[in-house]
Amino acid sequence: MKYIKPLLLAAAALAASGTTQAQELHFIMCGGEIRPADQRAADEFVAENPGVTVNIDAVPWGTCQDKSLTLAAAGDPPSLSYMGSRTLKQLSKNNLIVPVTLSEEERAIYQPGVLATVSDGGQLWGYPHAFSTKALYMNCGLIKEAGKSCDAPQTWDDLYNLAKAVNDNTEAAGIGLAGKDFDNTMHQFLNYLYSNGGKVLDSESGDVLLDSPETLETLKFYGKLAEVAQEGPTAWERDELKNLFNDGAIAMYINGPWGRGQHNEDIDQITVPIPAGPSGEQGTILITDSIAVFKGSGHEELAAKLAKKLASGASQYDLDESWGLTPILQYEKAGVEKPYYVGDSFWEVYTAGISKGGPEPLVTDFKSLQSVFTNMIQGILLDDDTAENLVSIAAEELAEIK
Amino acid sequence: MAKTAISQQKSALSETAFAWLLIAPAMLFILVIVAWPLLETIRLSFTDANLGGESYVGTKNYEDLLSSRKFSQTVSRTFYWMFFSVMLKLILGLIGACLLNANVKGKGLFRVLVMPPWVIPVAIGCIGWLWLYNGHFGILAGIGQRLGILDGPFEFLAYKNSAFWSAIVTDVWVGTPMVTLFFLAAMQGVPVDLYEAAYIDGASRWYRFRRITIPQIFPVIVSMMLLSAIWTFNSFEVIWILTEGGPRSATTTLIVDTYKTAIANFKFGKGAARAVVIVVLLSLFSLFYLLVLGWLNKRMGSK
Repeated sequence: MKYIKPLLLAAAALAASGTTQAQELHFIMCGGEIRPADQRAADEFVAENPGVTVNIDAVPWGTCQDKSLTLAAAGDPPSLSYMGSRTLKQLSKNNLIVPVTLSEEERAIYQPGVLATVSDGGQLWGYPHAFSTKALYMNCGLIKEAGKSCDAPQTWDDLYNLAKAVNDNTEAAGIGLAGKDFDNTMHQFLNYLYSNGGKVLDSESGDVLLDSPETLETLKFYGKLAEVAQEGPTAWERDELKNLFNDGAIAMYINGPWGRGQHNEDIDQITVPIPAGPSGEQGTILITDSIAVFKGSGHEELAAKLAKKLASGASQYDLDESWGLTPILQYEKAGVEKPYYVGDSFWEVYTAGISKGGPEPLVTDFKSLQSVFTNMIQGILLDDDTAENLVSIAAEELAEIK
Repeated sequence: MAKTAISQQKSALSETAFAWLLIAPAMLFILVIVAWPLLETIRLSFTDANLGGESYVGTKNYEDLLSSRKFSQTVSRTFYWMFFSVMLKLILGLIGACLLNANVKGKGLFRVLVMPPWVIPVAIGCIGWLWLYNGHFGILAGIGQRLGILDGPFEFLAYKNSAFWSAIVTDVWVGTPMVTLFFLAAMQGVPVDLYEAAYIDGASRWYRFRRITIPQIFPVIVSMMLLSAIWTFNSFEVIWILTEGGPRSATTTLIVDTYKTAIANFKFGKGAARAVVIVVLLSLFSLFYLLVLGWLNKRMGSK
């Protein structure tokens, strides 16, 4: 009888240790697929942490962020989620995610501007995991067919003239524009806005700076560009434009570095910086996607450990290189001898844009931000209103939601 | 004597209790599935509920809706959408039912062939339409160019008017088979004697249709019209898959607006206010519709 109590206590202790070890991390992965590099890192993590399993739930972009947010709002959050950094402010303001801690050394090896995309209120809210800058893809075959030489346009006028030449002299449209009710409609526009010296929000005060001569110029140029773009830009989003590019239906369009791997090999293509507007210099939007760790899953520390593993060191390099992303870390500083982007003219276009780029605006209600921009852009593409009215309405609406 | 009265009263009471007992499961079901969510929606509409919690804001959500020009445009667009879509469904359904009711060989096969739009999942059907409407790769623009109607690709979903009408066409495609089958069933119930008598009296086809078929199936037309109106008013998948309410809100109806506000933007309070407006508008519409119908029936009956 005297052994029963210690035995029971031992059994209880064993049971308790079993419960703490047998943990399943629910990882929502936006994008609809699990990249082999991420899968490898997750497998390693499982091997390093006995009793821990990682359930990766790959969800397409269209519904993914809503799924993570809804689960969190309903009190059943995922452990961690890979999603657009634009969602972080909304999540942090609503106390749904935990802040991220990085040492000074860790911070120092990020590319300039990357950590700004996950910062709010003096804290970091996600582990940046995918980074992109944008550039202009040109189909030299079509441009030569139009009687022009395939050189990088330096200014918006050069770009328009080139697109017009293709439009007038070939079966193809000069350029592909995105104008659908979709998030990258705003991103595509911001590439032009940042190449014209425009700003959306003041980085310090958060004041709305959209109602400016630079935005007006950009919107007017967008309207002009629509004349030489593919039919009905308001029905297209950026990822669909690559089909038109592959089909030889558009001669140019803006995309990230992954575009190269998605294009047909027989296309004679070059990639060049986005041309500068009359009031600015060549620029690009800087976008990151991050891994956020949710509150209330019961294993936040473990989730943070996995997030950090995925978003640093060899795992991160593996992802950037295999996926073909703009490098998120300065791998030279991290000790990588010859990173994939060094000494490559294709990558130089994308890495050169980092220092000149502008951020994706970080607001609490990012969906409303997107609709403000989409409404303004579609307004000019459909010739619904004057550029002046559209810009001032957008700035007013933005002030209400920022 | 007094004893009999008491036992009768007792038996009457137990009968009432028994009746309540019989309907209790249904009542409970309705309370949980319909009444509670409705009351909760009404309560939410007086709050600013969002991801971070909720607090009481009185009638602010409703005041915002009443003062919003965009919202009043959405309401009129919804009725416009409902009117044209329901009308087309009823007209095409009536024509289809007449054709399927004709005494021709293989009519069974034709009746089956009318079913697919209704039988296949709406999402799959809409994705098919999405490709049909595609200007560069779609068959409609392709045929238009072959026939010389179009001089180049045309994106049906890229422009406000064409997107609106394209969404109506798809909604009609989805909704017509059911209307057709209801009308067909009603037509098959019309006594053949009436047609024979009219035929002997020399009534033309059109006259027989107007004076026999229509009055005989009128109750079905009425119910179908009301049901179809409610379904069309709240039709979500077709618009969402084709356009997500765009371009520039040209296809945003009340239900799409409610979804965008409550689910996509996590503004549950504001979304609930929109949902309550939908309930009120549909109830008023149904009431008005039934009143007009009652009045029409009276007038027709008094002749």
